[in-house]
Order: sequence, then structure tokens, then C-alpha cells
Amino acid sequence: MSKHQNNTFSGASRYVLDDELASIVNVSMALEMPLLLKGEPGTGKTMLAHAIAESLNMPLIVLNVKSSMKLVDALYQYDTLTRLNDSRFGDSKRDVSNIEDYIKMGKIGQAFTSEVRTVLLIDEIDKADTDFQDDMLDVLDQMEFDIIEIDKTITAKFRPVIVITSNAKKDLSDPFLGRCNFHHIAFPDPEMMRKIIQVHFPDINSNLMGNAVSTFYELRKIEAIEKKPATRELINWIRALKTDPDFKPDQLANKDIPFLGVLFKKSQDYQKAMGSTNRRGLF
Amino acid sequence: MFIDFFYQLKTVGIPVSPTSFLTLQKALDMGLINSIDAFYTSARAILIKSERYFDVYDQVFAHRFQDAEMPEYEDFELDEVTRALLEGWLEDPVSLAAALEMDESDIIDLSPEELIEYFKKRLEDQKGRHEGGRTWIGTGGTSPTGHSGYHPEGMRVGGVSRNRSAVKVAMDRRYKDYSRRGLLTQDMMGEALKRLRNMVPVGPKDQVNIDETIYQTMKNAGEIDIVFSRRLKDRIKVILAIDNGGWSMDQYIPVVQTLFDYARDQFKDLKTYFFHNTIYDFLWEDPARYKQPFKVENFVSFDPQTRLIMVGDGSMAPYELMAADGSIHVEERSGKPSIEQLKFLAQTFPHCVWMNPVFSQTWDKTPTITTIAQIFPMFELTLDGLEGAVNHLMTK
Repeated sequence: MSKHQNNTFSGASRYVLDDELASIVNVSMALEMPLLLKGEPGTGKTMLAHAIAESLNMPLIVLNVKSSMKLVDALYQYDTLTRLNDSRFGDSKRDVSNIEDYIKMGKIGQAFTSEVRTVLLIDEIDKADTDFQDDMLDVLDQMEFDIIEIDKTITAKFRPVIVITSNAKKDLSDPFLGRCNFHHIAFPDPEMMRKIIQVHFPDINSNLMGNAVSTFYELRKIEAIEKKPATRELINWIRALKTDPDFKPDQLANKDIPFLGVLFKKSQDYQKAMGSTNRRGLF
Repeated sequence: MFIDFFYQLKTVGIPVSPTSFLTLQKALDMGLINSIDAFYTSARAILIKSERYFDVYDQVFAHRFQDAEMPEYEDFELDEVTRALLEGWLEDPVSLAAALEMDESDIIDLSPEELIEYFKKRLEDQKGRHEGGRTWIGTGGTSPTGHSGYHPEGMRVGGVSRNRSAVKVAMDRRYKDYSRRGLLTQDMMGEALKRLRNMVPVGPKDQVNIDETIYQTMKNAGEIDIVFSRRLKDRIKVILAIDNGGWSMDQYIPVVQTLFDYARDQFKDLKTYFFHNTIYDFLWEDPARYKQPFKVENFVSFDPQTRLIMVGDGSMAPYELMAADGSIHVEERSGKPSIEQLKFLAQTFPHCVWMNPVFSQTWDKTPTITTIAQIFPMFELTLDGLEGAVNHLMTK
């Protein structure tokens, strides 16, 4: 217990962290519970795990969940083909009669067998089906799993710091939620957003920053947009504005908005944004 | 500690579990929480599992720890109710004006908050359930701010829709989680339709079939014999037939549009046809339904494994479905009643469903829906309904 407490998380070099989130991360680490992060795309859910790993100096293991994934893929893989090859040609140092030599660890397995405490990021858990989620939580709860082929139980040497992200497409099941701590990362407010922009563009002039950020928040207000522009889009958009020699920050205030396509990536959204800027005279 | 706080959260309807409360106690015991701010964030992370309840949590917390005035329990509900209604109203200011018995021009001057306040006052005036009458918000009356009334611009506030003139159900909404019944976004459709796949082996034999390789190698007395097989690819064929005609489908255009967009992105072999109310001799390949007719009989030449998805509210006059010359368009009257054509389609494509955007509770109020549901397995056009439909389409 005490060794964990020296390890508290207070932010990293490239991640703008608020106090609230920092204390939630620390409580989850101390309670040894997975932290489930929800929030719109572009609010830095994935970045948080990177930041934790960096600031606590632990290796980061990322499990990118895919819809077709089975739990066993995340735990271990029995490499039958190599074993077959070895049995025929026998030119490797592996012992063919020892199946254990042909077991490769998956991402969760790597986190369990690691010699140091790791940060395990399970990214976009909502992509997988409910069975996967529940079974995985069983494994993470008990901190052990069985390798059926060799009838061996793998127990975690160190309990990894587990961060799970979800894009909130689907509600997760109740038993799943019951075993996690939960935090919803709200979309950054304009003030926070200015800080984030400042981190990415240290030399940005304040006129461009002010106009771009306020235009961006106005555009986010357009109703019935399927994919709202997020931080990533804003950063790319500012990058685009900066490269355009004809662009003057003041023209944004006159609802003359170039590169809308950088912000709105779906054609319907794009059209709505075009329509709204002209018709409603938002600016 | 803080047991009263736990019960306050429970009382306002947040699903808090005893297990999570014990976890909070553990956190307290471990000395992790040493200030009120830390308690606020930690208790929320541990107890509250959805951002939907964050706002309510804030209110309860302020009440318990900062002596803020506890909002009346009723308010939580009313706020939900009014918010739901307002969304619907804002799209339809004429009905809104009629519903509140105000002039349209007056309404434009009101802010959304003022509107909500006005509406809440009307709701609170009423004690208990109310049928008939003239001024209360209730059921079956002539006051437009109720449900199932016969005011031409009536606004449904609760109960079962009879005239379909209302936008949202509100009064009956207590404790019910409607989040899964909200507007379907493309992402949500994607989740539901993802399992609609028909994997077939195609292309060159370029994938090692491990099981078969091991088997053949053993048969070969240990001499390796690698067996390749074809990759599995998704070759599902989908026919989407959409009812895009008539006023009765108008209110469902956004949700059907989303389904259509997703289907177009997702399925490589997708054919879309349009019809009005029901199917007679033709379906149309163009949305305007006059340029490119497609004869229903020609569907026999299609792969019977094709999944047929019909989308329509199935609401029409019974003769349109049953009578031999039921079509409201003269040129479509061939002597075969529509119901026969529907049966033909259902036989041609055993994997078929009818997606109905109308709420399933009201299906038995419309005879033609019941009839069609006997021919096509019918599902509600919601996330739950889509999942059911996909399950049905994937059964052999």
C-alpha cells in the first residue's frame, strides 16, 4: 500500500491535467480499481494513460479493442504453427515437447507477467461485445487467468494501473460499471482550450487564438451535427489557418470561415455548417 | 459514514450500489480522502457510473454538504419531462403555440427557460391524473396541452398516442431509461448492424488453415503438408425498401435517413427501393417514385439469401392493403391486392424484417400494422429493435 502512495500522479509534460482528474486517478490507483473514462472523441482519454505512464515512469501497454476480438486474444496465443515447424525441422532452441515455449502473451498477459508495475490502457472497450467486456473484467478482478493448453494459471506479479476508455456509443453493462471507477471527461471550456492551444502553438498570436477559439465554439453549437469538431480538428484547423498567407484573423469575426472541411468531416455536417454560417449569421 | 448521503442519492433515482458504497468506505479508511473536494470527486468516481447523473449528484452534494436548498424531488422529474418536450416543440412552433394556448408571435419572444417554467406551472396545477376537461393538461380533453385529445394541433403529454399528433411522451416517463430510445445516430446503427454479415470464402487460397494443416501433416507421418484455404469475406446482400411517401412517414425521415446512410456506407451489395405505404406491382429505384419502376416479380431472380429490410410505418387504410385495386394511384391497379405482393416478397426472401418507426406499444391500434406483422417479422426502429432484427436476419 505505502509504496503506491509515493507514486502519485500529478500530470505530464504534454498533458494539460485538471486537479479533479488527477485526484480520481490517484484514488483509483490506491483502490486498485480500473478507471473507466468516457467522453467525446478528442477530450484526451487515451492521452491520459500515456501521461500517467510517463509521469509514474511505468511502461505502457496498450490493448486496442476491436469488434471481432476474443478475450483469449488479449490474454495469450498458442503458436501452433511454429511448434509444427519445429517438430518437423527441429532447428530452434525451443523444446517441442514443452508447449509453454509456444505460448505468447497477449497485451493483458504481458501486463500480468511484467517484472515491473505497468499501466494497461484498454482503448475503446465499447467496440467489443458485452461478453468480452464482462469476461475481461473477471480476469482483471481476479488478476489471474488460465492457459488451457498447459493447464497453468498466470497470476499478475504486479497489479497494473488500468485505464479503460469508451466513446460512449453503447452503455456498458451494470456488472462492468460496478467494478470500475468512472469519470466523464467533459469537453474543455474555452479557457482550458486556450491553454491546450498554447501548449501546441507556443508562438500563436492572441488575435488568431481568440478568434479561432470563439469561432470554434460557435460552430460546435450548430444543432444536429453528427460528428462535432473536437480538439484534434481545432488544432489542425489552426495549423491550416497559419499556413494560409491570405488569411487574416479578423475575417473570422465577419463569418468568413476558410477550411470548414478541416472541422467538419461528414458531408451532411459540412453542408449544415456552411448553411448555418451564412443563414443564421452566427458571428 | 455518510450513509444518509448514500440514501439521498438513491432517493433521487441515481442507481448507486452498496458495493460501490463499501468501496468508498475503503477509500476513506485508507486515508485517501482528506478534504471535501477530494470527497466530492472520489465519491462521484466511485458511486456514479454515468455522466447522466452528474448534475443530480451535484445538487444532492450541495444540499448535504453545503446546506444548499434541496430541489424538490418532483423537480428532477419535471425537468426531464420538460426538456424532452421542449426538444420536440422547438421544431414545431405552431403546435407549441397552440399547445400553450398562446399566439405564435408571443412564443417567439419567450426564452426556452420561460417556456419551461410556463409549462411546469401548468403541470403542477394538476393533481393526479385527469381525463377530459378544458383547461388542464390531461388526457382526452379539448385543451391542447394534453394527450389523445382531439384538438387539431394537439400536443401529446403522456399516455398512448391515438392521433399521432404529439411529439413525445412525458407524464409516463417516470424512472424509465429512454436513452436507448432516443434518436439513433449512425454510430449506434453501426453497432447494431455490425453483426449483419454473411461470411463466405472468396479469392485466392492464401490463408493457412492450421487445423487442416496439422491433420494432414499427421496423416503424412510428420512430413509437413501446409493446407491453404480461401479468406472469409463478407458478401452479404441487402435490399432496403423504404416507405418514403405520405405525411405519415414525414416525422420519421431523420431516423430512416440515418439508417439509409449507414446502410449505403456499410453494405457493398445494397439495393434500395422506395414505395408508398405498401407495395403493389412496382417498387421504385428513384426516391421520387416515377422514373425507374422495378417489377416486384423480378425479385425471383435475386439470390434468396439476400436480406430484405422493409422500412415503413405500415399505417394506411385497410383497403389499401387488402383490396384488389387498393392503390391510391390508378396506374398501379393490376388486380393483385398488396397483401399478396407482400406475401410473395416474404416467401422469396426468407430472411426478411419490417422495421417500423412507430412505437411498438401502439401497433395493435392500427389494423394494417398487425396484418403486416403476420407476414414480416416486425421490429421497432430503435436500437433494441435493430438488434432484434439483426438477430432474426442472421438466423438460418
